[in-house]
This record gives sequence, structure tokens and C-alpha cells, in this order.
Amino acid sequence: MFCFQCEQTSRADGVAGCHSAKGVCGKDETTADLQDVLIYQLKGLGQYSARLHKLGQPDWAADSFIMYGLFTTLTNVNFNRAVFMELIAEAARIRDRLRDAYEAASVKAGKVPEQLSGPARFEPSDTLPGLLAQANVASVRAGAEVVGEDVVGLRALVLYGLKGVAAYAHHAEVLGQAKDEIYAGIAHALDFLATDPVDINALLEEALALGHLNYAVMETLDAANTGNFGTPAPTSVRTTPVAGKAILVSGHDLRDLHNILEATKDKGINVYTHGEMLPAHGYPKLHAYPHLAGNYGGAWQNQQAEFAAFPGPIVMTSNCLIEPQASYRNRIFTAGPVGWPGIRHIKNDDYAQVVQAALAMPGFAETAPEKTILVGFARDTVLSVAGTVVDAVKSGAIKHFFLIGGCDGAAPGRNYYTDFADHAPKDTMVLTLGCGKYRFNTHDFGTIGGLPRLLDIGQCNDTYSAIQIALALANAFECGVNDLPLSLVVSWFEQKAAAVLLTLLALGVRNVRLGPSLPAFLTPTLLNVLVEKFGVLPITTADADIAASLNRQAA
Amino acid sequence: MVVTLVTRDAARLEFPCASGQDVMAAAEAAGLYPPSMCHEGSCGLCQARVVDGAYEMGPHSAAALPAGPGGVLLCRCLPQGDLTVELPCTDAQVGRHKIPVREAVIEAMGPAGAGAVALTLRLKPHAELGLAADFIPGQYMELTIPGTEICRAYSLANLPNWDGRLDFIIRLVPGGAFSTWLSERAAVGDALNVRGPLGHFVLDEASPRPRCLVGGGCGMAPILSMLRHMADFQDSTPVHLIYGANREDELLSEEIETLRAALPQLEVTLSVWHPGPGWGGFAGTAAQALETYLADAADTPDIYVCGPPKMLDAVTAAARARGVPEAQIFAERVQS
Repeated sequence: MFCFQCEQTSRADGVAGCHSAKGVCGKDETTADLQDVLIYQLKGLGQYSARLHKLGQPDWAADSFIMYGLFTTLTNVNFNRAVFMELIAEAARIRDRLRDAYEAASVKAGKVPEQLSGPARFEPSDTLPGLLAQANVASVRAGAEVVGEDVVGLRALVLYGLKGVAAYAHHAEVLGQAKDEIYAGIAHALDFLATDPVDINALLEEALALGHLNYAVMETLDAANTGNFGTPAPTSVRTTPVAGKAILVSGHDLRDLHNILEATKDKGINVYTHGEMLPAHGYPKLHAYPHLAGNYGGAWQNQQAEFAAFPGPIVMTSNCLIEPQASYRNRIFTAGPVGWPGIRHIKNDDYAQVVQAALAMPGFAETAPEKTILVGFARDTVLSVAGTVVDAVKSGAIKHFFLIGGCDGAAPGRNYYTDFADHAPKDTMVLTLGCGKYRFNTHDFGTIGGLPRLLDIGQCNDTYSAIQIALALANAFECGVNDLPLSLVVSWFEQKAAAVLLTLLALGVRNVRLGPSLPAFLTPTLLNVLVEKFGVLPITTADADIAASLNRQAA
Repeated sequence: MVVTLVTRDAARLEFPCASGQDVMAAAEAAGLYPPSMCHEGSCGLCQARVVDGAYEMGPHSAAALPAGPGGVLLCRCLPQGDLTVELPCTDAQVGRHKIPVREAVIEAMGPAGAGAVALTLRLKPHAELGLAADFIPGQYMELTIPGTEICRAYSLANLPNWDGRLDFIIRLVPGGAFSTWLSERAAVGDALNVRGPLGHFVLDEASPRPRCLVGGGCGMAPILSMLRHMADFQDSTPVHLIYGANREDELLSEEIETLRAALPQLEVTLSVWHPGPGWGGFAGTAAQALETYLADAADTPDIYVCGPPKMLDAVTAAARARGVPEAQIFAERVQS
């Protein structure tokens, strides 16, 4: 086993990467190796799919499978080896179908079909021991002794960015927004990786191309979310429970939440959001459900204590699952790409068992005193008051904007983000998105220029909204985004964040402060490139970095 | 050595810690569960600060360690003497392992093969747990004879559910306190106290190996629960059941047929120790049947065995003799 894709990868005694019987996230070595095999196969599918797209004969069902397969390998998504055995068998069948389709399409176009090598030819063993014996070829470090650590690191950056792209694209797809250019872009990246690229410049170019692709994907997901659930509006969300039966919904998938709200209508059950589901309250069509009662708990890393204390069943959608504890094993359900062995998985959007569990459990005995936070400050809301914002900047009421957001996690160093938000001067505005917000979103930020001083833009994919806001401000001030009094302080944990980072770099956004630690797969050489070419900065202390951000503006 | 954890809201939690044991393991052994995740010094969730006492830190990621003097990760903190440690979390965030005691009502009693009773209880609604019958297949409950302090442990035969239902298979022991109460005085509608779930005899869901389940008499209850769980989840892990009995009429043949239908890959060896004439199945003990199965098995399975002490010893010996490692043998002892 070898994996170094997440922010909390083992660095015990300075050696980076999880390479023992179990990863820090909880996935065991067998599951990790099977994930590597699946990814290897998906590269093979990409080889054929990219060519089919070029011939104008794409296989969208196969492309959809590719996206889903990549999603299952993100951090904290699927820990169930039985699921990977099935996906590996299915991938082999799909590869055969794509190969036949490619050969037929080539002939039809009057071309000689290429004889593809590498992942495209991979035949997986049909036994588990056999697959594990094959896994070496699929390791993220395969070929390291020949190509060197920088190439390995860049290939990893491309792969992990691609995982984030696929995950966001899957969320859009299930909401009815699939685009041929997105499927083609993913296939292209996989085809590229299948060539075992060694050229540093080509690899960097591909990483940035993925950044651009992710921008299109986030735009599509924004359209999917707003198209289905309305334009987000400022909404007050209860963060303390009300009396009554209860279901908790965590993860990232708004479609699943909507299905749960429908399944629990008029049943006397309240639905609470958790983690990255908090922004759901800002969407008018979701907020319209009177039994969407509030938000419970904080970010993903606290789920074990929070789920244990919650007096009802939990549905974990799409991602961000960690090992279920005995006390709630029988009342947590997974939906979508996420899964854990022995934990019940929702099929065909059938939430009957969740409803049964909610009715059988006592729920909250009392309504707690009301505490609320504000959500829903996506691009339309903020841009609707663009005039006010611009005036406040011109008058000096707002001196600077800090975007402090991204993933949360458990590392002690993440209190940097609490300190940053708390110590940011009162004449600065704080924008946030992703579950990093939980480091400070219940604090009182007051108002500035007549507006709330803390604006919660939404989920991590709502970086799209943040970028639109920045572009509109740049337009209003007739300058570039990098000349705005705006500092990005990005916390990362997994691969959706990697994709977002690539988007920021691809768009030319400079001086991003990245933390709490830097990716283990970026060698010192690669980190230098990020620093020199893109101005990426590691974090130091909140006060020093606040001062440096304000000084840069002053300069 | 004594470790004292002080929570953010000033609760003091004291427990012993052995030499070479980390603070998290010692806390969990004492039934306390501070926030934790990776248990290997990398995620940072168990961050804390030692304010008094000497310690050593095992291997960990520097990024996961809190900065400043005394910064530790509980899962890698090895006390060298008595230790006082400040936790960033509140007392409420430290999990406690509570085993609930609940009231249940007898819903049904009936024969379960010769010499055994199938007992169905229905839990009364509980303030925190509602109507949940919460357990992991393979676990047991302690049932207390009403009006007494006498309790006996019986494994659950059914699946966790939301209807409060608990199914047991009670082997009638002549002269036994619970058996006597059950056969002579218990009636549908009677209430009794149930404590649980208890026990660690549960399936290793993450194991890649095939399974061999060995049970007999009332030892069949947890085995039935495990098999029903596999059927419920459509778990395709290869599984072989060795079902032992003294005489044919003890076998719960209907239950086995239902399971075979629900779990396509299930293979069954019925082994009867003292068969009557006309018995076509395996004649001998469960241990002997296991011997025969292991002789032909391609992969060493995980073995789950439940039964009286002599049967456990014989089965374990047979398994070890055939090279099944200790770590792959899961045993649960029942009274004979």
C-alpha cells in the first residue's frame, strides 16, 4: 500500500505517505491496493474514451462510470473492498465494450485502429489474491526509481486534481447536468496519464488544463444546483435542535438531501444538515421544506462524537465518512459513492429504512434555545449589493477582503484559521466556503458598510461563486483580480480542494496562502514552482499573515 | 501509573495506565473515549497538553502535534509516571461506553428443536434508544429472572431492528434457574430486565477470507444471527456452516433451509454425534466435521465457533492442527 493524497497523510518521523496495513483515513491496505487497480483500469477506459470522443462517438454511460469510479477513490469515500471487486469487474467489461466500439468507429472513419498498450490492455485477475499481486503496476509510485520524485509528484497532482474534477462532475451529472466536453476532458486526462508522461512541462500544462476544466465543471455544478433548487438567498439557519424525531444528513450531495426531504414530508420528522450540507439551507426550494429544521454539529472530523450523540438515523451522502462507531453502526446509512463494510447502503433512492429508524428513535426531547447563523451569500446575493460593496471600498469602510475557506480537518495547526478570522481587522470583510468555515462561523463578526461582515458563500464547489464575485469587483475597479484588496487563505484536505487549487492557479490567481500543511506529493522542486510561478505561500502565523496580506495591498 | 485527563470544563477523569501503554489505549480500557480517529499519530484529533508528569512520544506526524510545551497526541503518548493532561474538549465530548438496561416483555415462547425454547421478547420504548433493538450480530444480552437478581446470558438469534424485537434460543438445562423459570412460570406478557448488547463475538467484515461457522444447540443463536446478517446484506463471502447436534431432533432444519434460500453460496454440514438409523449426514462431532472440511479447503477460513467449553476446545484444537492461525479463530463460550 502507498497513498499520500490527503492532508493528514502519515509523516511519522518525516517519511511522507501511508504505507502500512492501514491508512490514517482508515482504509486498509487491501482496499488501497484495489483502488489503485481500479484507477489503473480507468486510465485504460480513458484511452479508449478519448479516442471515441475524437471520432465523434462517445460512450456516455462508460464516461459516467469513469467519473463514479474515480469518486470512490477520493479520501474518506469508499472503504468497502467488496465494492471495489465489483467495480473492477465492471471496468473490465466496459473496457471490452469501448475497445470494440473504438475499433468499429475507426474502421468506419476509414482509419486503422491503434493497438493500445498499458492500462488499456490490463486484464484483472478474478480472485482477490490475484488482484493484489497485480497491484504493483498501479501504484502511484510506479516507476519512481526510473523517472524520479518530481515526475511522480506531478503525475500525482494531475491524478488527484482529476479526482476532484470527477467528483464535482458527478454531483452535476446526478442533478441532470452532464456535458460532453467534461466527459472528454476527463478522458483526455486519463489518456495522458496512461502514457506515463515524464516531461515536467507537459505535466504542469495538464495540471493547469485540469484547473480550467474544473472551472467549467464548477460552473456546470452551479447551474445544476441553482437550476434545481433556486438561486441561493441569505437565510438564517438554526444551529440548535427543536423537539421531535430527527434525521441527520451529511456529506455533499444536494440531490440526496432533496430526496430525503421528499421521503420525510409530513411524517413528523425533522431533517438536520451536517458538515458541507449546511449551505443547502440557502437554496429556496430546499429551505421551503418546513421540516428542514437546522444544522447540527460541525465539520467532518467531529462526526464520531456528533453522530453518537444525535438521537436519530444519519445518512452520509457522497463523501467524508470516517469509521462508524459501534453506538451508531446500525443507524447510519450511506448513499452514492461512499460506503463502509457492514454499513447499510441506500439503493434506488429508497429511504424507507431511514424513515423507519427515525420513527423508532426518540429524537430530541426538547427544543433548545435558538441560535442561528447566516448562509446563502453566493454570487447573485453578493453581486446584487455590488454597488454597496464598491462604495464601501471607495469610502474606506471596507479596506480588504479575506476569503478564508476550504476543507476542515483535525490537525492542531488549523486553529490558524480561527485566529485569522478572529484577528482580521474590523474594517475587513471575511468570505468563507467549504467546511473550513466551522473554525469560526458561529463567532460574532458584526456588520461592515451595512452588510454582514462574514459572508458564507456555500460549499467548496461554490468557489465558482467566489470567483464571479472577484471578477465583478475587478471589473468595477477596472483592475485585475490580483490587484484587488483580496487575499485567499485556502485550507485543503482532499482532492476536491486539489481541483479548486488548480483552478485558482489556472486562472492566474496569485498569492494563495495554502495550509495547514503543503501536499506531501509535491517535492521541494515542485513547491518552488508553485511559489515562484504562482506565488503560492505556506501559512505562518495568523497575525503575521494578516499583516503581510494588508502590506501587499498597501505596496 | 495514574493518568488524569482534565477537560475544558474542568472535569477530572482518572484511570490507570500500564508501562508501555499509550494514554488513549488506557482511557479506552477504562471505558472513556476522548475524540480520536487514526490511532497512529497522524490526524491530530486526539491532541492534548501534558501539564504535569513525564512522558515519551511514539512515532507521529509533526503536523499533527500541537505546538508548545507539553503538546501531545494521546494515542502516541507513553507516560513515564503519573500524568496530568489537559484536553481541548468538554466532558460531554468524551464518549462513555454505556451498556443499557431495558425492560422487555415476553411476546412468544415455543419449541426450538428438542430440548430448547425459542423466546421472543419485545423491548419497551426507551427515553434515549426508542424502539431500537440495537446490537451487532453475534452479541448477547443478560436476561434477569423477574423478582430476582439471577441473570443469564443468551445470544441474539435475530437481526438488529427498529421494532424492539429480541429472539433467543434457550437450551433447557434440567434444574437450571432460568430454564426452570422459563418452562414452569414464565408467561406471555411477563416483563423482565435485559442488559446489553455485550460481547465481541462478531464478524470481521473487513476480512477477505472465507468463513466457517461452527455451532450447536444454543450456540446456534449467534451463528444464525451472523448468517441472517450476511443474507440481509447480500454478502457474497464464501461461507460454510457446520451445525452440530447430539441427536437429529435437535436440529433447526427449517431455519437452515430458509437461510440456504436467502444465501446462495452457503454450504452446510449437518453433523450428528449420536445419529439414529437412517441418518444420511455426517456422523460425529462438530470438531470432526471441521477436520474433514479443513482437509479439503483451498483457503484457510476465518472460523467462528460457539458452544460449550469441551466443544470449543475440540474445535480450536482441530483448527490449530490444520494450520488455522489463532487470529482467525473467533470463539464464544456458552454454558453446556
